[in-house]
Amino acid sequence: MTEAVPAYLQPGRDLRLDFFRGLALWFIFLDHIPDNVVSWLTVRNYGFSDATEIFVFISGYTAVIAYGRLLLKQGWLRAAARIYRRVWQLYVAHILLFVAFTAQIAYVSITRETRNLIEEMQLLGLGQDPYRAILEAALLKFRPVNLDVLPLYIVLLAAFPLALPALLRQPWIVMAGSIALYVLASTLNWNLPGYPEDKVWFFNPMAWQVIFYTGAVLAVVAPKLAWMDRWHWPFSILTALYLVFAAFIALSWHYNSWERLIPDWVSRQIYPIDKTNLDILRYLHFLALAWLVRRAVRPNARFLKWRIFEPIRRCGEHSLQIFCLGTFLAVTAEIIVAQFEEPMMSQMLVSVGGIVIMSLVAYGASWFKAPPPAKGFVA
Amino acid sequence: MKLLAVALGIAVASMSFGASANPECRASHALLDLGHPLELARKAVAEKKELTIVAMGSSSTQGYGASNPAFSYPAQLKLHLQEAMPGVAVNVINKGVGGQDAEEEVLRMKNDVTGHKAQLVIWQVGTNSAIRRDPLTKFANKVRSGIDIGRALGPEFVLMNLQYVPAVVALPDEEEYARVMAEVAKEKGVGLFNRFSIMRAWYDDGMPYAQFVFNDGLHLNDFGQKCIGKLLSRSILDLVRPKQLTGEPKTGH
Repeated sequence: MTEAVPAYLQPGRDLRLDFFRGLALWFIFLDHIPDNVVSWLTVRNYGFSDATEIFVFISGYTAVIAYGRLLLKQGWLRAAARIYRRVWQLYVAHILLFVAFTAQIAYVSITRETRNLIEEMQLLGLGQDPYRAILEAALLKFRPVNLDVLPLYIVLLAAFPLALPALLRQPWIVMAGSIALYVLASTLNWNLPGYPEDKVWFFNPMAWQVIFYTGAVLAVVAPKLAWMDRWHWPFSILTALYLVFAAFIALSWHYNSWERLIPDWVSRQIYPIDKTNLDILRYLHFLALAWLVRRAVRPNARFLKWRIFEPIRRCGEHSLQIFCLGTFLAVTAEIIVAQFEEPMMSQMLVSVGGIVIMSLVAYGASWFKAPPPAKGFVA
Repeated sequence: MKLLAVALGIAVASMSFGASANPECRASHALLDLGHPLELARKAVAEKKELTIVAMGSSSTQGYGASNPAFSYPAQLKLHLQEAMPGVAVNVINKGVGGQDAEEEVLRMKNDVTGHKAQLVIWQVGTNSAIRRDPLTKFANKVRSGIDIGRALGPEFVLMNLQYVPAVVALPDEEEYARVMAEVAKEKGVGLFNRFSIMRAWYDDGMPYAQFVFNDGLHLNDFGQKCIGKLLSRSILDLVRPKQLTGEPKTGH
């Protein structure tokens, strides 16, 4: 498990990244369906952090793999240009998703003559002042339900060329800067403006960047952290204890008898567990999770190649398409569930159905790209 | 196919673990009593067939924590009022700004209430002041001056007190803030929507926090927001719906 060279200089594909990113995409889809009983399978019920942290962390990690080598070989300008090509793709995908998302809701509202679905989905801003709303959507300030993650990723990647050279030379300084910005933004409440007025970004980029850069820095410094593996027991015990604590708290939200066991002074320390500014408890929870997963899953772990998990990996390989599709399908699922009397059965069916569709599209995308060039990653 | 079977199997297993019996949005009639008549609103509904409400407040009003701002309590309030009074033009203006406390809301009270010709202002306040440990007397004075500024512009007031959620319950003196709000409401002759007690009753009846609280432990989730909107609409309808005004003079104090 001790990586001799930094991740971004290693040949071949790290299957863990595909696997866990695919898993995160499935989780995000399941969690986006309101009250979905199947989302009991996702991480968010067993601790503080959720699939978003996994997705953003892996995005940072793969960004270094994709563009670090490019920077060394072809220089900064070329790497920056490539990053901006990717930013452009993300932007186009986001706008397409915005249109498809809106059109889906408009279609259902018009064909069923239930106009209040448009209201339900908070496209209200669009109805009241459509021109303004479209402008604000283009500026990433107007983001209806669930369309918050891609704009975060766009902002993070757009700033990435500035950090990349320093990241490869002085990763610890970048990490320190990232943590400093995180602390400042969350204590001073810095955030980007949203629309309608008085709104801010649900995922504050200045806070959430710390997850992205944690991933990016680890892709560079992992070999230097080999000593941690020799002394892993204290870390592993501490992180395991923390995960148990977090699971207890998270499950206490479901069981009042557990909840009553938590003393007030503990609650006073933990709550609120802010999502917008990535509460420190969420950050630590993700780090603990990442540490234990890294201990447990070697890059060449057998199960990563099992056929049964291939759909997950395929989804992870085509993360942008699958993310957009998942967001779109989550609304479809919500609309379908609302039609039926038996919510649990329909939730299970649309959950499985959505994942099957996401997987099929991922296979299609792989087929389309074949023969797969064995070189680098796409972030 | 195998994958499908596995997924279904896990889903069924998870269902038996996570299933919560159909949650009920409820509150006793006594808890829904605002304690003060809404004369302006009643008249506007009866005579002009209109009702305009300004929802003033912080993140609870804005709808943070709901998966969709249309589930915020003001949007839901409008939905239910409109449903109950089909011929009446109901308008609810959302003036919720996340993170603000009483002091900050007083500063924009005039600006945000002016111009809407509202008959009613619902002021959701107290939580952020309690979290920031504002001194109680200062808090009370801010609420008083907010009411004075708003009422000078025409509308009547209903105060909505703190939410019953882990982050608030853990505070040493959250009930003091609720008590002060009840006192100010009485002294000023305005209504009080006792969100704190309504939600505490949910919890005491065995409803888990996950049912009505967002996983940050502070904000209401979809169910919480929708239910508060529905219950508040019931409180208001009790006072403004024409047919129920026959047995009227039931001023609460």
